[in-house]
Amino acid sequence: MLSKELKNILLKVQKPGRYTGGELNSVVKNRADIAVRYAFCFPDTYEIGMSHLGMKILYGLVNEREDAWCERVFAPWLDMEEQMRKNNIPLYALESGDPIAGFDIIGFTLQYELCYTNVLNMLDLAGLPVRSADRKALTPIVIAGGPCVCNPEPLAPFIDLFLPGEGEEVTNDIIDLIKKHKALGSTKEEFLKDAVKIQGVYAPSFYSVEYNSDDTVKAVTPSNGAPEKVKKRIVSDLDSCYYPDKFVVPFLEVVHDRTTAELFRGCIRGCRFCQAGFLYRPIREKAAKTVEDQCRRLCDSTGYDEISLCSLSTSDYTKLFPLLNDLLEWTEKDRINIALPSLRIDNFPEELMQKISGVRRSGLTFAPEAGTQRLRDVINKNVTEEEVMSTAKEAFDGGWTAVKLYFMIGLPTETLEDVEGIAKLAQKVVDEFYHNPNKPKGKSVTVSVSASTFVPKPFTPFQWEAQDTAGVIAEKQKHLFESNTTRKVNISCHKVYTSVLEGVFARGDRRLAEVIETAWRSGCKFDGWDDVFDTEKWTQAFEKCNISPEFYASRQRSFDEVLPWDHMDYGISKNFLINENKRAHEGVTTPSCREKCSGCGTNKLNGGVCHALCKSMA
Amino acid sequence: MRSVRVWLEKSGRAIYTSHLDLNRCMTRAVRRANIPLWYTEGFNPHPYLMFPLPLPLGQSSDGEPMDIRIETDMTDGEIFDALSRVMPEGFTVKSVGEPKDKAGDVAMAQYGITLEFPDSAQAERTAGVIRTLIDGGELTAEKTGKKGRMKVVKEIKLNDFIHRFEAGSEDCYVKISAVLSAGSTVNLNPALLLDALYKAGDFEPVYTEIRRQKLLKSDFSDFE
Ligand code: SF4
Repeated sequence: MLSKELKNILLKVQKPGRYTGGELNSVVKNRADIAVRYAFCFPDTYEIGMSHLGMKILYGLVNEREDAWCERVFAPWLDMEEQMRKNNIPLYALESGDPIAGFDIIGFTLQYELCYTNVLNMLDLAGLPVRSADRKALTPIVIAGGPCVCNPEPLAPFIDLFLPGEGEEVTNDIIDLIKKHKALGSTKEEFLKDAVKIQGVYAPSFYSVEYNSDDTVKAVTPSNGAPEKVKKRIVSDLDSCYYPDKFVVPFLEVVHDRTTAELFRGCIRGCRFCQAGFLYRPIREKAAKTVEDQCRRLCDSTGYDEISLCSLSTSDYTKLFPLLNDLLEWTEKDRINIALPSLRIDNFPEELMQKISGVRRSGLTFAPEAGTQRLRDVINKNVTEEEVMSTAKEAFDGGWTAVKLYFMIGLPTETLEDVEGIAKLAQKVVDEFYHNPNKPKGKSVTVSVSASTFVPKPFTPFQWEAQDTAGVIAEKQKHLFESNTTRKVNISCHKVYTSVLEGVFARGDRRLAEVIETAWRSGCKFDGWDDVFDTEKWTQAFEKCNISPEFYASRQRSFDEVLPWDHMDYGISKNFLINENKRAHEGVTTPSCREKCSGCGTNKLNGGVCHALCKSMA
Repeated sequence: MRSVRVWLEKSGRAIYTSHLDLNRCMTRAVRRANIPLWYTEGFNPHPYLMFPLPLPLGQSSDGEPMDIRIETDMTDGEIFDALSRVMPEGFTVKSVGEPKDKAGDVAMAQYGITLEFPDSAQAERTAGVIRTLIDGGELTAEKTGKKGRMKVVKEIKLNDFIHRFEAGSEDCYVKISAVLSAGSTVNLNPALLLDALYKAGDFEPVYTEIRRQKLLKSDFSDFE
């Protein structure tokens, strides 16, 4: 139950439903039966966190155990934080309302770099010191997972353990271990020493970093028996892997509020800018039957009327059409929509297309990513102008009048001509509409162009590249706007400085921790929110710590430089990445994994198995 | 197709659900209960489910009517059982039946209001202040409305909308029982009345609870 204190402040904040808990399918257990209390923290708002599939999976997985209780915690919005601090209410978990400082495990998921100050802020709101070294007791142990863990260095002094890779198995390992050490009455150090024996566990405090005189990393040396390289964990068989049959159903409207099915992990495309495409390899598919069963159970337990089939590139799922046919047998009757994000609609059977709402309702989206064929070859985005045009034509034939195109600005080797190419391509789509005899009568067309800023990321072929400086990006954005001559095309661009900051942290080292802490102490939080982000405070923080953001973001690295994340092993061979980088600069594309394995090395993590070619062959 | 009125108690953590959220939440509950809802026809079919008098956020209720149209021969009892099994925390199905009155017949609502004070002396004193203020008949509140496109601030006389009012004290609590205008045309939110009282009487309780007890028609008989 909520305390009176809390009830009083709930009526003073926006959307109090973010802070109450009590949603359908949330799990409440008897404290007395529980050996390990786990606070799963999402360092952003409730609405964003509640849309995140990984959290739903781990929440269900931990709560399957009788000896553990996983609860949800989100970053309170500014108004709530103010009230909590004023009334001395510490950060609490939604299910029990208990302060998380008393929990055994506090686990963060790091989905994007711009949430780092929120991690510190949440620890502080919990009443805990933000630095690991100042948290002396065995519990709470602070852990973190998620894609940003592939380079966890900027957060190294704050987190006790990072868990690179997929969380399903390692989470249970950690819970077992903390349970054992609590019973033994161990010290934190004893626990950490034991923890690093588990595959996929990184204790940053056991690694010392030396630097060269030019500020690059010289060496990272482990101690206390920690491994030289920390190998990420993966789940080998998705069919037998845990998947929840219940989702917590929020009262509030959240970003994605629906049944989500995961079709496969990894991606066969190999777009050179896309970190997710490399981080989640090797490719592992779920059987269509597994997916269908999971969808059915989730719809039954939640009452959701939409199923989203999600994966990095949904149309690459080898069993997509049979799955859709099976699903449609009951979803139509039960008035359930099927949404297919990230879908390429070329070769999509017309009768299936008609039945699928995601495509029908939201209009058409397409991601050419770059404006010219030359640059698309550089980034290995195998989309041709003809494909964009034929898709647009199909769309207009089908009665749509809105098309959305996604691009990136600042890609390696990009020239102003490539930037102009974005506007030209959008113009061609507009022309396609007016030349189409079947276009919807009496209507006009809108082509929305979203141009985000390219940020080089670890474990991609572009991890050595210099990111465009804020000045260059701004210039290119301006050029894009100027190249656009029609009002039928709407262009939107990302804020420049946030992309630079993202770039700094993505490839940063431990020295950045001080900048993060300084910025947070000066009031930075929710940096991913344009209306909260404070450029000036961040600039001051870098100055105060005497650290140059350009060193991290806009410096070209050489292939033989020791990278701050070289001791993290995501199964991807460095030679493969170097080779891909060279091919990029030569403008040579690499075929998709379905056509030919290009030897990225990640299949070794899975006993040599990769489902890219065909599941049965693998 | 037939219409059914479901009466729901709303309390605990559920009171922070806004009207829009409640609609979505209940549509899902009905789906989980496997009660086939009737869908509107036309371009964008949606299930028929509505609340005759949405409850403001933060208030609890003994019985909120929810009107649905269904396509099934399930009996009221079966619907009651099916819905009861799937309700989220904080919602209890009180009864299920035919809607006797039209949604527009709601004219008033009866509320039970509890105000908590640090001690009983303060509670007693405040109860007196509140009675004097109500009897004085001069309570006003500002309401922003729209006149065409312009925003206008109107002063409204609250006493016109208060039909019954009793206030007494019990330990450190002031207990109020009030019947206020309610409905889609004239409606007095008890929270607005309380704010006016706090302002005019210059006091503020440490804790407040508002519970809607029932809906009434213009002749003071129960809305059913
Ligand atoms: S192992 Fe080969 S087929 Fe599998 S993801 Fe790597 S490159 Fe692609």
